[in-house]
Amino acid sequence: MQGKLQIQLAFHLTGTINGGGLQRIPEGLVPALFSRISDLAELRYDLPMVLNTIGSPERSLLSLSHMVDEVVCRLADTPECDRIARHGYRIESEIRRSLATAGESTLSDSWKSAAESLSGGDGDLILDSAWVLESEFFAAGSVTDLDRDTPALVMRHIWRALNEQRTASFRNRIDRLLYKLHNILDAETVGSAIGRSPDRLRASVGSAFDSAFNFDALSNILTAAKPETTISDRRRERIKWLIDVLERQQFYAGRDEKGDSYCFIFERPSDALKAHNERYPAAVELAKALAVAELEAAGEYREGLHDPIFEFFGSNGLTSSDREQLPSYLICTDAGSLDPAETSKLLEILAVGLPFKVLVRTDDVLEPSELAEGHLSLGLRARQLVDTAIGLTDVFVFQAAASSIFRCRSKLISGLSFAGPALFSVFSGDTRTNGDTPAYLTAEAATESRVFPSLFYDPDGGSDRASRLSIENNPQPDVDWPAYSIDYEDESIRAHKIETAFTPVDLMVMDQRFSSHFALVPHEDWIDEMIPVPEVLAADMSPGDDKVPYVDLIDDDGILHRAIVDTRAIDEARRCLRIWQSLRESGRSDNPHNKPSSDLEVEVSIESDRASDASLSKSSNGSSAAEERPAGESKGVSAGDGSPYIESARCTSCNECTHINAKMFAYDDNKQAYIADPDAGTFRQLVEAAEGCQVSIIHPGVPRNPKEPGIEDLIVRAAAFN
Amino acid sequence: MMEMTHTISSNDCLMQLFEERREIEDYQKGVPRWCTGCGDNAILTAVQRLCRDEGLLPEKTVFVSGIGCSSRLPHYMNTYGFHGIHGRALPVAEGVKMARPDLSVFVNTGDGDCCSIGAAHWIHAVRYNMDLTMMLHDNQIYGLTKMQASPTSPIGTKSNTTPRGSYLEALNPLTVTLGISNVSFVAQVVDWIPEVLYQVIAAAYRHKGFSFVRIIQRCPEWMPKLMDPWLHDPDRVLLLHHENGVEISSSLARTYTRMEEHDPRNMNRAREIASEYDPIPVGILYRNPDIACYEDLRHDPRLRTNSMVQSGIEAEFDKFTVWPEQHGSTR
Repeated sequence: MQGKLQIQLAFHLTGTINGGGLQRIPEGLVPALFSRISDLAELRYDLPMVLNTIGSPERSLLSLSHMVDEVVCRLADTPECDRIARHGYRIESEIRRSLATAGESTLSDSWKSAAESLSGGDGDLILDSAWVLESEFFAAGSVTDLDRDTPALVMRHIWRALNEQRTASFRNRIDRLLYKLHNILDAETVGSAIGRSPDRLRASVGSAFDSAFNFDALSNILTAAKPETTISDRRRERIKWLIDVLERQQFYAGRDEKGDSYCFIFERPSDALKAHNERYPAAVELAKALAVAELEAAGEYREGLHDPIFEFFGSNGLTSSDREQLPSYLICTDAGSLDPAETSKLLEILAVGLPFKVLVRTDDVLEPSELAEGHLSLGLRARQLVDTAIGLTDVFVFQAAASSIFRCRSKLISGLSFAGPALFSVFSGDTRTNGDTPAYLTAEAATESRVFPSLFYDPDGGSDRASRLSIENNPQPDVDWPAYSIDYEDESIRAHKIETAFTPVDLMVMDQRFSSHFALVPHEDWIDEMIPVPEVLAADMSPGDDKVPYVDLIDDDGILHRAIVDTRAIDEARRCLRIWQSLRESGRSDNPHNKPSSDLEVEVSIESDRASDASLSKSSNGSSAAEERPAGESKGVSAGDGSPYIESARCTSCNECTHINAKMFAYDDNKQAYIADPDAGTFRQLVEAAEGCQVSIIHPGVPRNPKEPGIEDLIVRAAAFN
Repeated sequence: MMEMTHTISSNDCLMQLFEERREIEDYQKGVPRWCTGCGDNAILTAVQRLCRDEGLLPEKTVFVSGIGCSSRLPHYMNTYGFHGIHGRALPVAEGVKMARPDLSVFVNTGDGDCCSIGAAHWIHAVRYNMDLTMMLHDNQIYGLTKMQASPTSPIGTKSNTTPRGSYLEALNPLTVTLGISNVSFVAQVVDWIPEVLYQVIAAAYRHKGFSFVRIIQRCPEWMPKLMDPWLHDPDRVLLLHHENGVEISSSLARTYTRMEEHDPRNMNRAREIASEYDPIPVGILYRNPDIACYEDLRHDPRLRTNSMVQSGIEAEFDKFTVWPEQHGSTR
């Protein structure tokens, strides 16, 4: 026994296998928590996603399984619902299976081909179900599974959907302005000598009434009746310039989708920045033209007042409201291709608050450090960018694994619609160094293990850090690790249950590059000193404790194995935990450092008020209860002997009490209620009247008949009004 | 019998004096159909008290209303009344006052009736400054038609017409009225302080000119909890008092400790107060008795005798009469 422990400890401390049956982990072993999800195609989950092109941007990203569920719910009352639902689930599963091999396709194509490949035994019925479901989807577009390109695909799709909306409203605005500006010029022409010439008048009336009018006379009358209306040359020039700028702008596509409009989607920050700088004069010109055109259209442009302002428009940079009128730039890049020069450009873009939306895709969160063999730096690059962006305080930050993109779509949309810069850090899961594990599983595992937690930082979210930072989308965000249980049976078919958690160590064990940090222990060498990794991470263990951490693994046959872990991997997992804990800390609203100082002062003063209130109520010997009563109740006309009374002066004559008992409650000379005869009704009626009184002026006193049914309850209810 | 009315004996005079002392019941008619708990009841009681205390003759008093819960008030007054058409209470009242300046004319209208469909009449009634007492029963909802948002509904009010919540900020009837030329009396009260409600309506009645009283009232049926925060917290009511305005009794001052001395002649301060909604200002915001009334400007010195009225009507009829002799045609 001692020998086994020594050998395992030696591995744990040094990472070196020195006999004793220990061996490197063979291929095919996966963390035990994967036992239930060995075949993703068999499961129903968010993927595949549909990049919908119909409807509002909120519906631009859909999940196939959600769409099927929605339609099934909608058809719940139809007789064929069961059959349609059953077929729907089969088709959905078939699409999931075929996408894993075939890749992206359109919704209608993949839906039809999946239905056709399944039809056979059920004959036409499955095709019928497929048709019913498809006609209820109200969606079209491509269906996509998860791979490296998915995050950029989704981002570009949502950006386009949002930009279409912006383009439409921009076009409406431009059309309105152009119409008004043309009108100003037209009005001048109509009012001029040319506009009132007989020929012009004849042309404007049309040929049908040509003989009915004497256009010469009409022209004479019109010319004599009203002096010529002219606008100043400066104004005419200005309006022509406005029309020219508005008509040839390239920031938004024209109504006929023709003409050269700028492209706003880039792959490298430097390209985007270059394009932005090149277009800057045009952007200033357009923003200026929009501002001047609005004034002109409203007839409010005063040359004396506005000329000096607009002469130097934009020389101090565009304001954020000016920038909001123009499209935002989308950069879809990946962390691997971001060299130091590009990274510094990217940070510059974020820091100066340009309206750029930057997607940085990470394919590898376990990237080993280049510094020295064996040093780990889990999720370093993404973390660096995100931390810097959050530190800038006015950047919208989105961090999530690609597997949760669908769940976080509303955040994605708000980030893309955010007025300032936004950083989207997405882990694709397509690492390619972890065997056959699907990208979806790797991405989920990175979130579960807290190596790549979901986090959102919305500068508009509130006044303090806690309300801006959200980590709610993580699994079990209130604890260190998400906890799960695994059921298994031993050789003697006895049931066991393991309570475990998914930690960064589980993520590392999936990756071949980290195999040297693990050693498989044969079943016969399992000893009591072996303890699960989550327990080791929870306790602060020192090398002298003689404990060896292990992770549970399973093979293809579902047989449980244990692999012990070296200290380097444990240290790295512990670091991840600390980072997660500090993230949780800063996202919590009860953290005093997250609040603006004025809030703190208020809280302190409330606390001290409470303290002084408490001491007052003690010193006044319980009389504070009377002071807490609602308005004016202390000044009622009470006989002081527990008899009921009404503060008549405050009565609003609403008939509430007189309806309950007109003999007990009556109106005085001023038509305000008083208790005419307390014995004319029951205590219950008094209590009900007190409860019904809108202005709370009826005080039921003590019951006159202690034998009335339910009297205890009524006394309790009356207490609130006495 | 005819002679009796022309020559009044001293005995009759005594009889009349005796009769003129009326009680509240003398002004009541029917049982109000408003919901129990409705703020309209408080307003009805206040005007009935006013009629009694001012000794108004029922035959010389007219209550004019438009359409809505509030506008049922004339039905419950044992005086003359005119239940008009939606939004048109004010033109009817102005017509009554123009023809019979000797009558006391009251107008009861709701927030929908006045501020929505009747908004144009409201503006011009303020400008005409005729001697009318207008009570705007503002429960911030259309109650009679079962809950639709009105112009004074707070933003976000969910109603049958605004199921996702109303989109617009509520209109402030006080600031609107104070912005109209010739405005002469603007006050605001809440239905749950009957003492001030009565005093302000009485002051409005005594004011010579158009007096505008906005009464914030509760609707227990459609907006049940809307006013509760103000109802149960006296510190959220700001009582305006002044020797030329409302005097606050000592018992009321014990409950409502938040007070401000406000001279109703001070228009600038009145506009500031009018813009506040929390605490709710209660009292007379503005009063200027020096603004001429339209009926005085257009006063016709001729006596409105029966013969004069008849000759006027005949003259109108004559415009449409066909005189066979004149035109040489026969019947």
